[in-house]
Amino acid sequence: MSRAGSSSPAIELKGVSAGYLVAEGLKSLRRKYVEVLRGVSLRVGRGERLAVIGESGSGKTTLLKVVLGLLRPVKGDVVVLGHRIYDIPERERWKVTSRMGYVPQDPFRALNPRLRVADIVAEPLTRLRLPESEKRERVRAAIKMVQLHESVLEYYPSRLSGGMMQRVLIARAVVHEPELLLLDEPTSALDVSTQAQVINLLNSIQERLGCAMVAVTHDLAVAQYLADRAVVLYRGVVVEEGPLDEIVRSPKSEHARALVASYSLGSPALLGNV
Amino acid sequence: MVLAVEAKELSVGYEESDELLWAVREVSFEVREGEAFCIVGESGSGKSTVASAIAGILPPHGVTDGELRVGGRVVVRGNERDYEGVRGRLVTYVPQSPGASLNPYLEIGDQFYYVLSSLYGLSRREAVEKARAYLRMAGLEPDAVLDRYPHELSGGMQQRAAIALALSTGARILVADEPTSSLDAHLRLQIVELLKRLRAEAGLTLIFITHDMLLAGALSERVAVMYAGRLVELGPTREVLRKPLHPYTSMLIESVPVLGVKRPLKAYTGEPPSPGEPSGGCPFYERCPFRLEVCASENPPAKEVGESRRVACWLF
Amino acid sequence: MSALRGRFNSAAGFLDLARRAWRRSTRFRVGSLLVAAMVAMAVLGPYVAPYPSDGWGLVPRNAAERAGKPPCLEFPFGTDNLGRDVLSRVLVGARLALLQIALVVSVSLALGLFVGVCAAYYRGPVEALLNYAAEVFLALPAMVIALALRLALGQGFHVVVTSLILSWWPWYARSSYVYARAVVEMEYVLLARLAGVPDRTVLLRHVVVNVLPPVLVQAITDLGSVLLEASAINFLGLGLPPDAPDWGIVVQNGFKYIVSMPWVSMFPGAFILATALGFSLVGDSLREEMDPKMRRRWKLWF
Repeated sequence: MSRAGSSSPAIELKGVSAGYLVAEGLKSLRRKYVEVLRGVSLRVGRGERLAVIGESGSGKTTLLKVVLGLLRPVKGDVVVLGHRIYDIPERERWKVTSRMGYVPQDPFRALNPRLRVADIVAEPLTRLRLPESEKRERVRAAIKMVQLHESVLEYYPSRLSGGMMQRVLIARAVVHEPELLLLDEPTSALDVSTQAQVINLLNSIQERLGCAMVAVTHDLAVAQYLADRAVVLYRGVVVEEGPLDEIVRSPKSEHARALVASYSLGSPALLGNV
Repeated sequence: MVLAVEAKELSVGYEESDELLWAVREVSFEVREGEAFCIVGESGSGKSTVASAIAGILPPHGVTDGELRVGGRVVVRGNERDYEGVRGRLVTYVPQSPGASLNPYLEIGDQFYYVLSSLYGLSRREAVEKARAYLRMAGLEPDAVLDRYPHELSGGMQQRAAIALALSTGARILVADEPTSSLDAHLRLQIVELLKRLRAEAGLTLIFITHDMLLAGALSERVAVMYAGRLVELGPTREVLRKPLHPYTSMLIESVPVLGVKRPLKAYTGEPPSPGEPSGGCPFYERCPFRLEVCASENPPAKEVGESRRVACWLF
Repeated sequence: MSALRGRFNSAAGFLDLARRAWRRSTRFRVGSLLVAAMVAMAVLGPYVAPYPSDGWGLVPRNAAERAGKPPCLEFPFGTDNLGRDVLSRVLVGARLALLQIALVVSVSLALGLFVGVCAAYYRGPVEALLNYAAEVFLALPAMVIALALRLALGQGFHVVVTSLILSWWPWYARSSYVYARAVVEMEYVLLARLAGVPDRTVLLRHVVVNVLPPVLVQAITDLGSVLLEASAINFLGLGLPPDAPDWGIVVQNGFKYIVSMPWVSMFPGAFILATALGFSLVGDSLREEMDPKMRRRWKLWF
């Protein structure tokens, strides 16, 4: 199912600056504004795969919050799935966000321990007004798409391993066939062997659904596999942008260069094996 | 040749809700003095437990079997453990996140003081002198760090301070648990360089734990691969990476995404078993593409293959 | 990995928790037996009491010859100054005891939970207002409220129950608030809201459901404490009328004769104690079962 037909991009940010109000000191009641993102512009077309490369403190989490409609920027335009999301009142924003899929970073905090997997995965279908039978079908299809066995549907999260939790979250994020998939460090919590499985899984899902996929990660090597284009974020500013291969081959900004260099750890030894 | 660490059929277990789970099973290896040795494994492999056993920080409710020697002294024999004079003196430990080894309520200078005064009875002035030396060795500017609290330092500086603190005990064996995992990528290279330099300058024996094959390749001379509590392969790092013998080692190498190389990622099905899941035969049986009938019922013993390489696999 | 899983295990199934506690904790077993005995008494009391009318507080016809008898075969717990069989009074009194504490705890829990959860979820002015209200009631001891109500509304069941509810609900409110604050920050709540799940459903399905277990366990322990306070209020004559079939009242009846007829106060007093102990043991052991870290450390020292 290709969404390439839609004209508006999945995400379009223009000159976005955002931050938080923080208490100024222990004794003061005043709050000061701490800027976390400055003048960030980026564009994700329908069906495109983008990686947002950033380390801790780069502002990548804030960027996700802005796109999800959770943090109003002090400057700039935010257009998500064709809507100026901050012009919509907060209680109505679900109309846009329900067309997205979001996989948060920490699977332990993203699964309600008192709900069965089936109910967790079915939740995004709440507003779709589907008959129960169809909901069940979609849930079953989603679970199969993440290569988990149907019996998992009856489990509570406590019975799931780390890799299984991640897959359940991905199933939940795609059950309603979103137009945009947002992933926050999708493989950081996983073992090497599971990481590879999940990377391949995400790509096959993205291909099938034709949705735009934005993966926020600090791992350049993983980003290679999940995206064609990348945006490098450093201290709240976009320092580099373009096709990922090019950034890796010839990084232009100082930070990107340092980043790429740090991946030269032992590569020659492994390269010899490939 | 003096062995810094020698493990013979070492097993370590924990009690978890009434059951005894073995996190490490019958592991045997040697670490020579002055060597850089790496233990590689995923979650549940038991690598952190081995590190804790060497460093002398196993929890009191742990259970052990087999034998472990550190610096020539027996520290584990059967279910008896004795780390007197070894822990903190011969072997020191740097945990994964520097937040765990640096007391958040003490300034860095104070932390050195407490460690050095309790180990060697040094006065405050003497302790600060030593602290300066070690901090400089770790690449930190002492005046910028001594009066600071850990949270005032960046992650990289914290890690360096933790390493300096560990070294100040005068121990010659440094056990580091995932020394770079909690750091941003551009800091990793720096810490690797630091550890290499420290080894050269101070003649340290470095034992570190990681899941990152690339790190192992960059920093270690010999590597031990663990899976589900067992040692599955052991040998010189370059050779093991170039020509892995055990199917699990091959899997580890093939699944690692390497920057600049876009081969398709080979994903093996299944996941590492959680600690304590009993397995009659080889723990890798479920996922092994080369499995034989015997693998299901009998656990392969470690065999010498060529000089200085060991594998625990029925293929050999 | 398994250590992390322990965090979830405690939440999936109250019955599993109880079953585990039964298997592993002597305190739980002792406590549950005490509680079960009390509940059985409450249900069957009036039917097995040898002198049911005595139990309900009525003075028997042959009062004069019966009065003040120490425990004997005919009256295992003795008789009080009006000739009523203390055993029957205790048996019948169990029902009121159970009713009072069940009512107080369930209503204050419901109220406190609602207030705490709403304060944590909606934040802002709602949070400030609700927390302030809880603070105000937290400052009022049950006795003082009981006194005021007694003066305003006269004696009765409503006094003891209302004063206790008014003084207990803020504890649950505060407790729920603290847990709810943590739950509300969880990503699964965020995901539900992003999906457009209405607030009311999010509150019930995600927040209340995860805040309830620890607070509920606290409530079980509180059943014992509430019994002590309720008995005290009745003892002081601020709640139930003088001849009501309530343990606190019986203790009060016997208080004037504490030297000559100690058994009249002793037996109901002992039952109050045993019941409170039972609930306390059950609640404590459940709480320990819920916290995986505590479970392991116990073995360290014992």
